[in-house]
Amino acid sequence: MKKKVGFKTLGCRLNQFETDALASKFVGLGYEVAEDSRNADVFVVNTCTVTNQSDQKSRSVVNKAINQGHTGMMIITGCMANHHKEQLEKRYPNAYVVNNEQKSAIPQLVEAHFNKEILPANESKGGVFSYVPAAETFHTRSMIKIQDGCDNYCTFCIIPKVRGRAVSRSVDDILENIRQVVGFGYKEVVITGVNISRYLSDGVGFSGLLKQIVDIDLDFRVRISSIEPDSFDDDFFKLLEHPKITPHLHLCLQSASESVLLQMRRMYTYKLYKRIVEKLRNINPLFNITTDIIVGFPGETESDFAQSLSALEELGFGHVHTFKYSKREDTRAARMTKVIDEREKSKRSELMRQKSLHAKIKYRQQFIGQSLSVLIDTVKDDFSKGYGEYYVPVKINQKLEKNHLHTLTITGIETGGDDPCLIAERIAL
Amino acid sequence: MGKEVPVANKIKTDLHEILDIRHLTDSTFVLRIEKKDLDFEAGQHVCVGPPNGIHTREYSIYSAEQDDCLEILVKEVENGLVSPSLKKVQKGGYVVVEEPVGYFTINKDLPADQKYVFIASGTGISPFHSFVKSKSNLNYTLLHGVKKADEAYDSDVYEKGKYVLCTSQDTKGDYNGRVTSYLKDNKFGTDVHYYLCGNCNMIHDVYDILEEQGVSTDNIHAEVYF
Repeated sequence: MKKKVGFKTLGCRLNQFETDALASKFVGLGYEVAEDSRNADVFVVNTCTVTNQSDQKSRSVVNKAINQGHTGMMIITGCMANHHKEQLEKRYPNAYVVNNEQKSAIPQLVEAHFNKEILPANESKGGVFSYVPAAETFHTRSMIKIQDGCDNYCTFCIIPKVRGRAVSRSVDDILENIRQVVGFGYKEVVITGVNISRYLSDGVGFSGLLKQIVDIDLDFRVRISSIEPDSFDDDFFKLLEHPKITPHLHLCLQSASESVLLQMRRMYTYKLYKRIVEKLRNINPLFNITTDIIVGFPGETESDFAQSLSALEELGFGHVHTFKYSKREDTRAARMTKVIDEREKSKRSELMRQKSLHAKIKYRQQFIGQSLSVLIDTVKDDFSKGYGEYYVPVKINQKLEKNHLHTLTITGIETGGDDPCLIAERIAL
Repeated sequence: MGKEVPVANKIKTDLHEILDIRHLTDSTFVLRIEKKDLDFEAGQHVCVGPPNGIHTREYSIYSAEQDDCLEILVKEVENGLVSPSLKKVQKGGYVVVEEPVGYFTINKDLPADQKYVFIASGTGISPFHSFVKSKSNLNYTLLHGVKKADEAYDSDVYEKGKYVLCTSQDTKGDYNGRVTSYLKDNKFGTDVHYYLCGNCNMIHDVYDILEEQGVSTDNIHAEVYF
């Protein structure tokens, strides 16, 4: 009987990429994989530590599995494992706490565990890019990891301490990875990393890499995941016009107040950000720009917050992920004194959420009457669902083939809930 | 995979011997540290802390790329966790140093005769000292905003006429007033690259002044000190 490995992934797309790659490796080794801990012989929790809430969620997943009777091997990995290794080992003495650098060696660790070879995780040979291309994953899009770590040192961010210094994967490895996953049948690849705009390998920067990716003579489309707006060149904007590159960027803003951006030690101004958005909308007026905004950063005044609220309308965001500022020890912002009261942060967060939902509906309504190329990822008895090239969800009351691109005409929008879905009623010919 | 890939990207830290301490004022000093194999680009910073503590702070590198030691310019912060300890270290002792990092560097694609204006407040002069010492024939003007003239740290390093000391609390500087006032009174043009280093308020104000003068944000580069 096959052994079963359950996974739970928290946080960013990089974690998703790493989980997918691990799951695929386990499948190759003859294991069954699942997305929960039920009846699992091994449960891998790939944690996040970007906010206090992320830490709580990560702990809650581990506790839930234990409370639900998971008695098999427990592996806690990811950024929380890097940041709170000792506390986790103390709290969960039977768990293996594996840091990011050794994460890719988890399959060897599991094999060693079941072979009764006690192999401490930190002696396994790992590496931040030592993941084989994932043939079978939990997603219809294949994540491609190009980079790890960050050298920006934003004052609120713990990631440089837990992911380490910026390192880039070689161009050849990345291109080979993409050829392989497209060969596996993936129609869309998602370029991912901690700070991908700072990609640099043997003199090739992010735009140079992107050019070589779109030049691969295979049929697939490219999505660029979360990116920092601080180091774009002209070539980058030209490449965004390429038909293989989807018109969507998750362009982290964090605040629209110039003084808050300086306090955050972000490497751009709001004025520069606006200029980037203008360029993107010149390329394509429907270009989807999604973003992250932190509310309640130390010293954020009512006026600073109002500027971030105004930015929602001014820039027409397709989605805003709102974070209440959460103090992370060992960061510079943790030493800042003008702390915003928790109730005030909640109030600002709720205002931002309401306004961003309004902006999202307004943005998505523009697609009614348009045709979109939708990658179907969910097929149920009476409907199919997926994401179009703009990364907006689309639903159709029809069974369509999963993991294929379908050209659909948008006829309406479901506005209930936080993620209004576009409705397509027929397949355009 | 068979190919050589980086195994890990953990931040490297090491103990470095203190070679010298040079006091410039009662509160400000230059710490000269063993370089070991830490190559850097002028404008980058290192995290430095006492050897027996868990805290470090970021300091822009003060010395030149080609020097065989590292120097940092430190101002003691009252009730600070790191700078008072650094002030007490002795020659022959050790400090913890993380590898250099940062993007506040001169763009190598700019022409050799590119005109630069460096604008510093207080110890924010540190990366500019490294620029000037590292790169010969740099076409620059350095505006240094301080309260009093005794904070003109190592001003003899800069060529005559290229260093403008702006003193806000005495009249001994080249200009009596804030560096921001000097900049309002003296325009340098829109084809210049401006590098700003110092406290948030100075940087915020300089951004506004330069933008009013028609300078593109592409030509403004900032490093914030806290």
